[in-house]
Amino acid sequence: MAKAVRVYYQEELEALEASALEGLDMVSTALDRTMEAVEHQDVELAQLVVADDDRIDGRYLEVHQSLITLLATQSPVATDLRLISALLHVLKSIERMGDQCVNVCKVIPLSGNAPPADPEMVKLILTMGGHTKTLIAQAKRAFEDRNVEMARDLVRRDDVVDNLNRECFHLALAIGDDVDKREWAMTMLLAARAIERTADNAVDIGEQVAFVVTGLFREFEDASHPS
Amino acid sequence: MAQDESRAEAARQSREAAAARAGIAVRPEFRSNSGYAEREKVFELKGVDVAYSGVSAVKGVSMEIGRNDVTALIGPSGCGKSTLLRCLNRMNDLIPSAEVSGQLLYHGEDLYGPGVDPVQVRKLIGMVFQKPNPFPKSIYDNVAFGPRVLGRKDDLDATVEKALRGAALWDEVKDRLDDNAFGLSGGQQQRLCIARCIAVEPDVILMDEPCSALDPISTGKIEDLMIQLKDEFSIVIVTHNMQQAARVSDRTAFLMVELDADEQNRWGRLVEYDETERIFTNPTDKRTEDYVSGKVG
Repeated sequence: MAKAVRVYYQEELEALEASALEGLDMVSTALDRTMEAVEHQDVELAQLVVADDDRIDGRYLEVHQSLITLLATQSPVATDLRLISALLHVLKSIERMGDQCVNVCKVIPLSGNAPPADPEMVKLILTMGGHTKTLIAQAKRAFEDRNVEMARDLVRRDDVVDNLNRECFHLALAIGDDVDKREWAMTMLLAARAIERTADNAVDIGEQVAFVVTGLFREFEDASHPS
Repeated sequence: MAQDESRAEAARQSREAAAARAGIAVRPEFRSNSGYAEREKVFELKGVDVAYSGVSAVKGVSMEIGRNDVTALIGPSGCGKSTLLRCLNRMNDLIPSAEVSGQLLYHGEDLYGPGVDPVQVRKLIGMVFQKPNPFPKSIYDNVAFGPRVLGRKDDLDATVEKALRGAALWDEVKDRLDDNAFGLSGGQQQRLCIARCIAVEPDVILMDEPCSALDPISTGKIEDLMIQLKDEFSIVIVTHNMQQAARVSDRTAFLMVELDADEQNRWGRLVEYDETERIFTNPTDKRTEDYVSGKVG
């Protein structure tokens, strides 16, 4: 049997994949804190999430640079090339998810110190956060296991988040004439929207799993041509 | 467009006339040019085996080589890629112990058929070797050698200029055509060998590791040249440099070494043959994947 060569390169690529996917754990932590900040209107915790996003951005820059170096020095082809291309996309998605948590945290101070105008809406947002956390974990697992079925299942879970987002919208519409309440509801809608986008990013990662495995890139769901 | 078509038609007629001189008639079905399955084929190999003194070197190779394609043969040392290349212009005939079996069609006609003259075949199917091998003559005489042997002495200057231009060497040597070819750099010598090859207007150019003795700049020039040359010729190249295969070829064949049960005998086997893009982005066979990504030696 032919003996394995380029061991160092192989190890390097595996380490970079692990490092990129760890970014999803960082996002998961940021999302936990974001939900906690939403629940308790905790402005300090929200500021911590904003500050900590630099760590996610740092991970993005570091792994991105190492992947570019690998492309320049190792001429990867076939599965390795697809993996590197996918990781570059995944990194971008992770960085976006981190930014969406920041977006939520930035609107928390705007919602004021008064108790929530509609506890039902807060509950919906927290439920969205919980589902999105599951999506992030599932996207990571699907990528690690190169499991296309599991990746495709992300679409189903994402539909749940989309529906909750729509419910938030209806609650906001029904909140009444009071100016303060309406302002609170609008702010919360922005938060819900950011979480909904985070779940979409998890689906994007799933699409990259399918690309690594099959070599074909297809959007699982095409927003511009819904079936 | 119409001009291109008439040029292509003229080129086809000249090729077929040359093939007729070698005792090879081109069948009409080998002339179509749409889609790969129906595209004009230069070679069609059906279960080709090559053996030296009864010991197999290559077994059961079946593949089609398209016209105006650059086709790369890659694989580890000893996988039979050079052996296979040499079958394509009957170079193996020069080795008494070599036997080629199976079917090897050139424009639909059996290349090893009884009426085929190997010397004529080699005029149609030229070869460029790993190490530049200019003759110890002037640059001009090197290029003029083939046409002179073939008795094409009219307008020899124009023929030499055309071949040197075709090999992207003219501008570098036009003022010193009478200098000895050994005074050229390695890369220039290799392009001179390509000029010498195309001076006799072949149909196919076979290249056996044409850049392995050259520096990266000379290699780049030869690679650019291959892309230019495929408009007029069909090229089959053997290379160890996988990135070179990826850069220049349209289709890539991967061969590897097979061993028998007691590991006494080894021979080459075609593992995968596909569009180069596919071979380097998403090959079908795991062995191809491991080889092109350099994971096995």
